[in-house]
Amino acid sequence: MSQAETEEGGDFVLLVSSDGYKFSISRKAAMVSGTLQRMFEGAGLESQSNRVILKDINGVLLEKVCEYLCYNLKHQNNPGNIPEFEIPPEMALELLVASDFLDV
Amino acid sequence: MRPPRNRDSADVNFDDSWNVLSTAMQEMYKKNASRLSYEELYRTAYTLVLKKHAEKLYNAFKSFVAQHLRDMVANELAPLASNTANSLSADGLGSTVAVPLATADQREAGIRFLKAVKVQWDDHCLCMRMISDILMYMDRVYCKELQLPLIYDAGLALFRDHVIRNKEFQVGEHIYAVILNQIRLQRDGDLVDTSAIKAAVLMLESLTEDKIDGETVYSRSFEPKFLRSSTEFYVAEAAKISRECLSGQYLVETEKRLKEEHERAMTYLSVSTEPKIISIVEETMITKNIIAVMHSEKSGINQMILNERMDDLQRLYRLVARVDPEKTDLRNSLMTRVTQQGTEINRDALEDLKKPERAKGVSAQNAATMTAFKWVEAVLGLKERYDRILNDTMDGDNKVQTSLTKAFSTFINQMSRCSEFLSLFIDDNLKKGLKGKTEEEAEAVLDRAITLFRYIDDKDVFETYYKSHLAKRLLGGRSISDDVERMMITKLKMEVGFSFTTKLEGMFKDMKVSRDMTEEYKTYSQEHDSDRRTELSVSVLTSTNWPVSLSSGEQSSSSTCVYPSEIEHVKRSFEKFYVDRHSGRVLTWKPNMGNADLRATFKKRKYGLNVSTYAMVILTLFNDVADGDALSFEEIRAATSISEPELVRNLQSLAVVPNTRVLLKEPMSKDIKPTDRFSVNVNFESHYLKIKIPTVAYINKTETEKERKETVDKVDELRRYQTDAAIVRIMKARKTLEHNILVAEVTSQLSSRFHPDASLIKKRIDAMLEREYIERSSDNRQVYNYLA
Repeated sequence: MSQAETEEGGDFVLLVSSDGYKFSISRKAAMVSGTLQRMFEGAGLESQSNRVILKDINGVLLEKVCEYLCYNLKHQNNPGNIPEFEIPPEMALELLVASDFLDV
Repeated sequence: MRPPRNRDSADVNFDDSWNVLSTAMQEMYKKNASRLSYEELYRTAYTLVLKKHAEKLYNAFKSFVAQHLRDMVANELAPLASNTANSLSADGLGSTVAVPLATADQREAGIRFLKAVKVQWDDHCLCMRMISDILMYMDRVYCKELQLPLIYDAGLALFRDHVIRNKEFQVGEHIYAVILNQIRLQRDGDLVDTSAIKAAVLMLESLTEDKIDGETVYSRSFEPKFLRSSTEFYVAEAAKISRECLSGQYLVETEKRLKEEHERAMTYLSVSTEPKIISIVEETMITKNIIAVMHSEKSGINQMILNERMDDLQRLYRLVARVDPEKTDLRNSLMTRVTQQGTEINRDALEDLKKPERAKGVSAQNAATMTAFKWVEAVLGLKERYDRILNDTMDGDNKVQTSLTKAFSTFINQMSRCSEFLSLFIDDNLKKGLKGKTEEEAEAVLDRAITLFRYIDDKDVFETYYKSHLAKRLLGGRSISDDVERMMITKLKMEVGFSFTTKLEGMFKDMKVSRDMTEEYKTYSQEHDSDRRTELSVSVLTSTNWPVSLSSGEQSSSSTCVYPSEIEHVKRSFEKFYVDRHSGRVLTWKPNMGNADLRATFKKRKYGLNVSTYAMVILTLFNDVADGDALSFEEIRAATSISEPELVRNLQSLAVVPNTRVLLKEPMSKDIKPTDRFSVNVNFESHYLKIKIPTVAYINKTETEKERKETVDKVDELRRYQTDAAIVRIMKARKTLEHNILVAEVTSQLSSRFHPDASLIKKRIDAMLEREYIERSSDNRQVYNYLA
C-alpha cells in the first residue's frame, strides 16, 4: 500500500479521510467493502471522480482500513495459513464502527 | 457486526435528513444521479438507521415511491392508453370475447403503450437499485431483522400495486389486452413486435405476488387470461379448419399451430406457459376433433390409406400419440378398416368360388387354386401395406401392431377355407411358382406364407391340408426341390414346434427310405430274376404319417385291381423282398397313387407314355386285343376290377382329352357310359416322343365338396382325440380340478393348434366321465377327480 498522492487512474481509487489524508488503493481492494463498491459502481459523483471523502473516518483509522482491505483481498482465495491481522487495542472500537459503515 | 450505541452523542433531525434523501431520490428519477454524492446520502441514511429512525425511513420511502408512481401513471401512461382504451378496455376488463381486430393505428398505439410502460419500468428498476444502494444499511440492519421485504423488492411490489394494479387506471389490464391482441394478430398471420411483448412479459414475470411462493403477476393475472382466450381461439379455429379443409390439411394446420405456440411461448412468453398452451391446442384441436377428422368420408384415414398418404398418416399418428398414449381411436379406426378390407377380400374369394366354370379347360380344382392364390396374395398384399404404414409412419408402434394383428387374425379366420387356401398357395409355389428362383427368393415367398400362417387359429386344419398336398407332391414327384420343401417344414417347426411337423418329416423320411429300398431291390431283382422286363420303383409309406385317404385300408375296395401278369410278378417279388427284410409288416398296394412308363407302338412310330397305374393296367389289356377290336366298359371293368369312378377318370384321360387320345371311344362323346366301347387309336400322333397323360381330375364339384367335408370330419375327429388327450394330461397332473379351470387349461394347451370351442371341451369331458377316466367329486358337482 502506498500513500502516493496520485489521484484517479483506472485501477486505483482515492479514499480521503475526514482530516484530509488521501489513500490510493487498488480498485479491487476497495471492492472488498460493500459500501465502497456501491459508491464506485453506482451512478453517483464518486464513480465519476474515482474519489470519495469519508467524513466519519480519520486518517489513522483509514490507513488501518486500507491495510485490512488489502489484507482481505490478498487472502480471499487461500484457505488456511492466513497470518493474524494485527489490531492495536485502542483502535479496535473505532475500527469496528468503520467496518460496520463500510460493510466489510 | 453491531455498532456500539453510545458513540454519537448528537441527535439527528429526521425531517432534515429525509429531506436530503427525498430530494436525492427525485433527482435520481430525473436521471441526475451523477450529481449526487453517494457517500453523503449513504451516511445520512446510515445515521438515521443508527438513531433508530429506520421504521420511519422505511415508510417514508414507501409512500414517496408510491406517490411518485401514481403521478407517473397519471401523467405518462394514462394519456397514451386512452388512445387504445376504446378498443381494448372491453377486453381488458374481464370480457373474454375474442379481441376485436384493432385498426393499424390502435395496434401501434398498443405497442407504443407497451414501450412506454417498459421505459417507466426500466427507470423504476434503475432508481430502485440506486435507492437500495443508498439505503443498504437499512436493508442489512432493519429489513433483515424484521423480515421485511428489502428495499429493492419493496420497490417492485410498489410498482405492482401502484402501476400495474393502479386503482384509477388499470395499467395491467391494458398491458394484458395489448399483448392478447398482438398474439391474436400474429395467429392470424400478421407480423408483430415480439420484443416489446417479451419485455412486458419479463416485467410481469419479475413482479412476484406477496405471500404466494413462485407466483408472479404473469402467472396469476396474465396467464389465465391468455389461456382462456387461446382456448376460445382454438375451439373456433378447429371448427373452422375442419369445416373448410380436408383432413390432411387439418393435420398440417394442427402441427403448424402446435409449432407456433411452442415458439411463441419460448420466444416471448414464459417457458412455464409452454406446456399449458400446448395442452390447450392438443385438447381443442386433437382430442376433441380427431375422431371426426379421422372418419371424414372423403379425406379421412381410409382415404389416406387408400392413397398411401404416408405424410398424412405419419402426422396423424404423431398428433394422436401426443394426446393419447394408448391411441385407442386410431387403433380402432385401423382395425375397422382392416377388417372391412379383409372381409371384402374374403367375399371376393367366395364369389369367385361360386362362379360357374369360367373358361373351358379350367377345372374346378384349378379354379380353387387360382382363387386361393388370389386370396393369399390379396391378404399378404394388405398385410404388407399395413406393415409399411406401421413402420414408415408409426415407428412400428407396438400397440398399433397388436391391434392390426388382431384385425388380421379376425378376418382371416372368418374365412372358413383360409387353411386350405394357404396350403394351396404353398402347394402351387412348391410345384411351379418357385421354379428357377434362387434360395433367397424362395425363402421370401415362404416367409410370406408363414406370416399368414401365424394368423390362422386352426392350425390343425392347415396341417391336414398341408399333409395331403405334400403327399401328392412327394408321390407325384412334383415338388420342384427337396431343399425348399425342407425349408418350409423348418419354418413351420420354428413357428409351432416339433410335434406339429413330426409327421411331415416322417413323410420325407419314408420317401428317402423308399428310394434306397428301390435301389436295393433293383440289385436284388437282378440277382434273382435276371430276365425281368419291368422296373419297379416303390414308395413305402408309414400309414400313420400319411393322410388317411392315401394310406388306410378304408378304401381298399376302390384301390385294388387286377394287375397284368408281368406286373403281378414284380409285385410278388417285391413283397417277398420286403417281408424278408421287415418281418411282420403289412404291405398294402396303392395303385391309385402310382404311375407307369410304357412304350407303345402306333402306326407312325413308337411313343413313350407316362400314365397312372390304372391307365397302365387298362392299356396293357389292349396288348391282347387284335388291332381294330374293341373292349366294352364292362369288359374292362371285369378284367381289371378297378372301381367305377377311377375307371371313368382314367378312361376319360385316355380317350377323351384331345391331345392324348391313345384310345378311341364308341360313340364319341365326353361322358363315359357303361355301354361305351374302346379300341386302340392306331393313328395316334404327337409332336413329342414322350407323352405324359395326366389323369383327369374330379371334374365334379360335388366331389370336392365331399372331399372338403371329409377333411372337416377328419379334423374334427383329430380334435376330439387331442382334446381327450389334453384333458387326461391335465387331470393326471392336477388330480382334482374345477370345471372352469379345466376348460381354460385345455383351451390354452390346444390353442397352438386350434381354438377349441367350449361345447367341444364339455362334450369331451362328458365322454371322459363316461369312460371313467375322471369322475365328478361327491362334494361339488363342478369339480372333477382323476381316476388312475
